[in-house]
Amino acid sequence: MYDAPTAAEQALQQHDIKISSRNVQVYYGDTHAIKDVDVDIEDKTVTAFIGPSGCGKSTFLRCLNRMNDTIDVARVEGEILLDGENIYDKKVDPVQLRARVGMVFQKPNPFPKSIYDNVAYGPRIHGMAKNRADLDEIVERALRRAALWDEVKDRMSAPGTGLSGGQQQRLCIARAVATEPEVLLMDEPASALDPIATSQIEELIDELRRNYAVVIVTHSMQQAARVSQKTAFFHLGNLVEYDDTSKIFTNPEDPRTESYITGRIG
Amino acid sequence: MTDATAPAPAAPAAGGKRRSLLEVDERTRRRNAAEARFRLYGIVAISVGLLFLLLLLGSILFNGLSAFQQTFVQVPVYLDPERLDPEGNRDPEEMRGVTTFGYKPLLNEAVYEKVQSLGIETPLPEPAMAPLLSDGAATTVRSFVLENPDRLGETVEFDLLASSRVDGYFKGRVTRDSIARDRFIDAAHLDLADAMNEAGTMGKQFNLSFITGTDASDNRPEQAGMGVSMIGSFFMMLVVLILALPIGVAASIYLEEFAPQNRITDFIEVNISNLAAVPSIVFGILGLAVFIQFMHLPQSAPLVGGLVLTLMTLPTIIISTRASLKAVPPSIRDAALGVGASKMQSVFHHVLPLAMPGILTGTIIGLAQALGETAPLLLIGMVGFIASNYPDGVAAGFLDPNSAMPAQIYEWAKRADPAFYERAWGGIIVLLAFLMTMNIIAIILRRRFERRW
Ligand SMILES: Nc1ncnc2c1ncn2[C@@H]1O[C@H](COP(=O)(O)OP(=O)(O)O)[C@@H](O)[C@H]1O
Ligand SMILES: [Mg+2]
Repeated sequence: MYDAPTAAEQALQQHDIKISSRNVQVYYGDTHAIKDVDVDIEDKTVTAFIGPSGCGKSTFLRCLNRMNDTIDVARVEGEILLDGENIYDKKVDPVQLRARVGMVFQKPNPFPKSIYDNVAYGPRIHGMAKNRADLDEIVERALRRAALWDEVKDRMSAPGTGLSGGQQQRLCIARAVATEPEVLLMDEPASALDPIATSQIEELIDELRRNYAVVIVTHSMQQAARVSQKTAFFHLGNLVEYDDTSKIFTNPEDPRTESYITGRIG
Repeated sequence: MTDATAPAPAAPAAGGKRRSLLEVDERTRRRNAAEARFRLYGIVAISVGLLFLLLLLGSILFNGLSAFQQTFVQVPVYLDPERLDPEGNRDPEEMRGVTTFGYKPLLNEAVYEKVQSLGIETPLPEPAMAPLLSDGAATTVRSFVLENPDRLGETVEFDLLASSRVDGYFKGRVTRDSIARDRFIDAAHLDLADAMNEAGTMGKQFNLSFITGTDASDNRPEQAGMGVSMIGSFFMMLVVLILALPIGVAASIYLEEFAPQNRITDFIEVNISNLAAVPSIVFGILGLAVFIQFMHLPQSAPLVGGLVLTLMTLPTIIISTRASLKAVPPSIRDAALGVGASKMQSVFHHVLPLAMPGILTGTIIGLAQALGETAPLLLIGMVGFIASNYPDGVAAGFLDPNSAMPAQIYEWAKRADPAFYERAWGGIIVLLAFLMTMNIIAIILRRRFERRW
């Protein structure tokens, strides 16, 4: 549950800006899906994107690691700075970017390979391990971070697709974490899971905040309130309000935010 | 829909009494009857299909199995040195001077003597033994002599091919009525054949050379075999596999995973689907124009046949490969891209392995199609008449004239002598055996590689 931070805690929470977007527009063909979004995402913080379905949360999230490049009709305008560098610069190779900005998808999507290979895949293609022992260590560390190690350490060669839904999603988190990203993007990571698995994932997200900037899209306002420190409310492609989560949920400035969190729109 | 618009039960719950679940109402009964009828139609349709399949298989086996058996005559032949090696040098080069015509009297004698020694009564004189034996019998003996000149002067036991008339008699194709006006053979020959059969010196045996042998000329159907055309088909399939698989898979991967969606790729896509529907004879005439008349590749060569069949098979392979690439869930691609794999890595590490069973199945089905294809081969002359035996036939390889199994079958079916008709059916059995093997391989591969995600 969300506890209101004390003043001292709030002082501690002054984090660096990890990602900042300026005048971001996204078009799908003629559809203007994201309009003029400016947002500063802090490091070592969980930022939640909320809003009614179809308002562009996923679209904006996918801008942050250029996954929209894979959609032919999608076009992104504006600037998104990661540590001050524009990720949409012509010189940026999206493949390199995605190693630094990891992503976890709505539906758990482990590769149909062993648990070990799932986690080791990223480190392998990025040449992060010099030898097998190195790789073993990376895999173990990632699985520990994803709070999955104890459950799978005895069956590393079992197929990842044989795990339960919640375990699969944690495996996907481990896979994303294994490449040592700086930012973790999660698109409704718990929407396909049961309540117990969901709370495990939420605890995990809170843990991950120590090392990463986490951005999570969620359709559940309770979830946003539970796990995030910052919340951005999107509506019809606009970023309506972006503030501390406590502020958004207790004292929103925009009437649209208020009607959404009180259940009048959405 | 119909449920919604149907008139509601006369009175709403308040007024009428509740219907019992134990009695079926009119609507439900009609619906159940319709369902039962539909099932019946389905069963009838499947039964009709099965019936035709059985008829087809039955008639193929009925007509074709006899081609795998052939009538042979066992006779001891005295290899007379005076007639077979007039110079007396035992020099195979000189002995070639004696053609098969020189051997025929020898064989007639041998058969006649055998008949006499068995005590069979026959009105036929010695020279009239000829119609019992195949023309190929003399060739058999001559080849033996040329290979073993030192055995001249001995009496050697031979299994000689009987003529197609006699063979047909034992298979029920030739009867005393049917030969009434035959100038080659008459009833006395058949009586003799019966007697020899009883005496155990003439009879049907399994005929390996139908599978391994070469084609034979019009008047010796008993000698014709599938072997050389099998080699021709094999070389063509090799060309198709080597060319069509990599080209097809590369094209599909590009179109499916890399190409932008625009007018040009749409146009290409539509045309690939159209190509799959182009009659195969069109590919044949294209091959004739391009490969033979323009590029001057030799006629009747398996290379050209293979190229034509490659053109024909490519659309099939591309369509099935694209379908199996499409069937790989996009979430797998997202997952790979999400951890920083390049497009190519995501395709080659994850998508392609998952699509592999489908690709292999499609390829094998494409190959099977190509294996059975006849029309384009006729246009590029893949109906070479090859009567030379293998070592030469194999060495000939990709560029020398050859035939192909279906073309060979067509050739036989075209010939006048009904003995070839049996050969054609037999050839179809061989062809079907190949096709079935390929399909079974496809099924096994699919089972082996199938993975769930
Ligand atoms: N691949 C796409 N092609 C075209 N339009 C899309 C695509 N993905 C999303 N959209 C459109 O963009 C808008 C925002 O979608 P999305 O970002 O998925 O919303 P959310 O995640 O907030 O539910 C929607 O109107 C949707 O129809
Ligand atoms: Mg979404």
